Amino acid sequence: MNLKLKRICGASVRNTLLALYAVFALFPIFWMILITFKTDAEMYTTTFIFHPTLHNYEEVLLRTDYFWAFLDNIIVSSLAVVVSVLAGVPAAYALARYKFRGKEDLAFTILSFKFAPEILVILPLFMIYQKLGIFDTYFGLIWVYQLITMPLIIWVVRGYFEDVNIEIEQAAQLDGYPWYSVFLKILLPLIKPGLVAAALLSFIFAWNSFTFPLLLSGFKIETVTVASLKYIASDTVHYGQMAVAATVAVIPEVVLALLIQKHLVRGLSFGAVKG
Amino acid sequence: MAQLQLKNLYKQYRNKKSKQQNDFAVNDFSLTCNDGEFVGILGPSGCGKTTTLRMIAGLEEITKGEIFIGDTKVNDIHPKDRQIGLAFEDYALYPPLNVYDNIAFNLRAKKISEQKIHEQITQIAPLLKVDDLLDSRPVGLSGGQKQRVNIARAIIRKPKLLLLDEPLSHLDGKMRQVLRTEIKRLHKEINCTTIIVTHDQLEAMSLADKIAIMKDGKLQQFGTPLEVYDDPANEFVAGFIGEPPMNLMTVKISKNMDEFFFDFPKSEVKISVPQRYHSVIVDGMTVKLGVRPMDVLIGDKTSKGSRVHVAVFENLGEERKISVRVGDEFLTLTTAEEIRLKHGDIIRLQVKAEKTHLFDVETGQRIRATD
Amino acid sequence: MAQIELNNITKKFKRTVALENLSLAVKDKEFFVLFGPAGAGKTTILKTIAGLEFPDAGCVKINDDIVNLVEPARRNVSMVFENYALYPHFTVYDNIASPMRSPLYKKDEEFIKKEVYRVATMMKIDDLMDRLPSQISNGQKQRVAIGRCLVRQPNVFLMDEPLAHLDAKLRHFMRAELKEMQSSFDTTIIYVTHDYLEALSLGDRIGVINEGKIEQIGTADEVYYTPANQFVAKLFGEPEINLFGADIIEEVGKIKLKFLDQKHLFSVEDDVAAALSACEHSVVKMGIRGTCISYSLSKEDDEFIHGTIYSLEPIGNKSILIVDIAGQQIRLLAPNDFYADLDSDIYIKMNLKNALFFDKDDETFIIRHNQKHYIEKTL
Repeated sequence: MNLKLKRICGASVRNTLLALYAVFALFPIFWMILITFKTDAEMYTTTFIFHPTLHNYEEVLLRTDYFWAFLDNIIVSSLAVVVSVLAGVPAAYALARYKFRGKEDLAFTILSFKFAPEILVILPLFMIYQKLGIFDTYFGLIWVYQLITMPLIIWVVRGYFEDVNIEIEQAAQLDGYPWYSVFLKILLPLIKPGLVAAALLSFIFAWNSFTFPLLLSGFKIETVTVASLKYIASDTVHYGQMAVAATVAVIPEVVLALLIQKHLVRGLSFGAVKG
Repeated sequence: MAQLQLKNLYKQYRNKKSKQQNDFAVNDFSLTCNDGEFVGILGPSGCGKTTTLRMIAGLEEITKGEIFIGDTKVNDIHPKDRQIGLAFEDYALYPPLNVYDNIAFNLRAKKISEQKIHEQITQIAPLLKVDDLLDSRPVGLSGGQKQRVNIARAIIRKPKLLLLDEPLSHLDGKMRQVLRTEIKRLHKEINCTTIIVTHDQLEAMSLADKIAIMKDGKLQQFGTPLEVYDDPANEFVAGFIGEPPMNLMTVKISKNMDEFFFDFPKSEVKISVPQRYHSVIVDGMTVKLGVRPMDVLIGDKTSKGSRVHVAVFENLGEERKISVRVGDEFLTLTTAEEIRLKHGDIIRLQVKAEKTHLFDVETGQRIRATD
Repeated sequence: MAQIELNNITKKFKRTVALENLSLAVKDKEFFVLFGPAGAGKTTILKTIAGLEFPDAGCVKINDDIVNLVEPARRNVSMVFENYALYPHFTVYDNIASPMRSPLYKKDEEFIKKEVYRVATMMKIDDLMDRLPSQISNGQKQRVAIGRCLVRQPNVFLMDEPLAHLDAKLRHFMRAELKEMQSSFDTTIIYVTHDYLEALSLGDRIGVINEGKIEQIGTADEVYYTPANQFVAKLFGEPEINLFGADIIEEVGKIKLKFLDQKHLFSVEDDVAAALSACEHSVVKMGIRGTCISYSLSKEDDEFIHGTIYSLEPIGNKSILIVDIAGQQIRLLAPNDFYADLDSDIYIKMNLKNALFFDKDDETFIIRHNQKHYIEKTL
């Protein structure tokens, strides 16, 4: 009996702690949504009881060019992901399958792009971009976004390639398929869950990127992260409008995050190999 | 050293998502393992044998029923206080420690003096032939050596009960045979009540004094290796024990001039029903006939046995295996005689009447002759 | 339909040598078994023939054409992989149909359907056509893998331990099925296994491989009755063959053997005696299988050797009895109802007519009694 009681106690303590953490973690989002309904006047004077208004939404969505920033963000982020997939998947395959000198060093270098602080490289990049004439262009942003999206895709997809038994590829070769058919018909469907998850995740990272679009664009092209800054005026900060901009920017991420959850189930490639 | 008793043990896993109760993983399982006995729990994967072992060890909650070690009911005793030695299928040795420290680990945790630990290890190590390995690290050891260390670690605490969970399944054929013999010897040396869980009938047969065969959480039969082999309780046990497996074929009973025959469907083959079954069969009844490959003989030219074509002849060194097609199924027989046959040769089948078993087609239960 | 030839193949992986100067010729329509312990290089040989591994030296010939530089797809070989290598996202039907849909061996869908069903019926998987590989059992997967291999008419079937992952029961059954189908394959088969029963049962000839080298090539009878060396002798048979040293002693002009610390001198047949007296050492290794040893609870005559029971392991229709004699463990067989306490006394008698003799240094086979009989028995 005491054994059983101990187990029940353990479970309830665990659940309570998790619930507390969930409240703690979700509170900022709740607060952000709350202040989107407040006027500037009530911003500092009220906490939970105030006169809700849609004024902030009107301002942001109808009277500023926030919509265009949103569109730019979609274009830049999704094209960046497409480029990363096209270049990253073959790279991941090579890293997973072939043995060559300096393979692990190369793989690690690619990964290290991910944790190098952006601020460190932004100044030289700014100069180079000015010289090349790609400052404030889609091309320029997509290019620099590869630093964010590529390492993630290569590392995740590489793991998936390694999970696919090489003998499946060899069987397809002996069945008479040329290499590109083996890749498209056999391999690609098997790594799809990983590829989709990695692509969605890197899309979110690209979407949230702030330093690069702030300093390498901003006139012709503007992303939502940069656009949110505009509500800091010289005399006052329009927190309500800023919160609206942030809330709208969060929507695609939440949707994508929910989608990823489903795709992270990686059951597919198991079962046929071994047993 | 103690007697182990399992009384009407049940285990049910709750499916968290649907809140539904699953079937019993272990269903009304009772077993008594006498002091010093070596018992094998045998069954296919998913039959509940490992769950049973984990309940004995205290790693799994008991849904219903009681477990006694000696006279103590251990249901609510913490695993570490049950005085059980446990060796799992994967060796789970601590890689940074050498063999000596691995074996000593649990003793040190119990604050036993180093001198005493040393005494015990020098006593146990030769039994498992790990005395030369005490200074080496687990990384450098072969699978067989790791498993020896693992077992040494389990018995060093002088447990009342030793539990072995598939101890040989990671080893290759030769090593498995060697370690099997060693475990058997070890049991004689330390004479500790031992339970081995395995899916390999050969392992259970060769090691255990008694075998409990499980399927779908239920005990099918509990007996000595010879009992389960020669006198299976049901069709499952008959098919599970023995290699090559017993021939189990659905036959119809027909009567011809006061004589009963087993008729094989889609085939000309007939075998006359042994006298002892006459009281339990009727004309037209369908039964499962079980007969081991070594109990089917090749009759000489004068015998009345059915003539059949050899489908496959295999010369396997020690013995020869002959498979014939009876209907859609193979009937196999083995013989140690030095004969050579080939596909298409005609032989006469003769079945050792006293070695045939009948099973109910529906329930699989044994139909016993009344004599 | 083809003969396969490997000439002086060497293959290294980093510093380990997988195959060392290995030569092998497989005849047209032969069922050739490559047999050896894990890591002997058997799979590497198959993959070299298939073109999936590239040899460092030597050449691979299919029908007398050197194919070293031919792509795997164009060698027209089909292979069953040890882990089946089914395409997880294809149904059973699509898996089997796959070779006939590739650009190289393209057939029309109607033909494919007919062929797939022909093979599936043969393999008894025709009711599983719509399942995915993850939804079928190991035995079924293995049949699908063989099925996928059989839909083509390749130069050679390469089978890499196709039965290894099945449980013992299914293996017995599938082995017989394979053997029965053998004649309908009508092409060359190279079959890799580490199970001696499969090797003996299936192979027209058996090549015993160890550490990248061939130890012996011969028929089942040859490798079982006249193994080229101790290594081969140990691989075939269960329980493992008993091997121990014996002194050659000449007593009144007759060659006798003294072994296992026994006082008694054992006499041997004339042909064995002749070969042993020609031997340069005065010691030989003697090998005797468990089936050729009998036991008794009393010393019936001088040839019985005293020992104690080390272990008794029932394995169904018989028991393995291990007897300790002067520290040497001798394995033999007893009926399954034999019972005796461990460490109790027992007497065994070896049938020296069936003993094998090996050189004590290089472990090669010297002789057995009536040797010719065993080789000629091969049909």
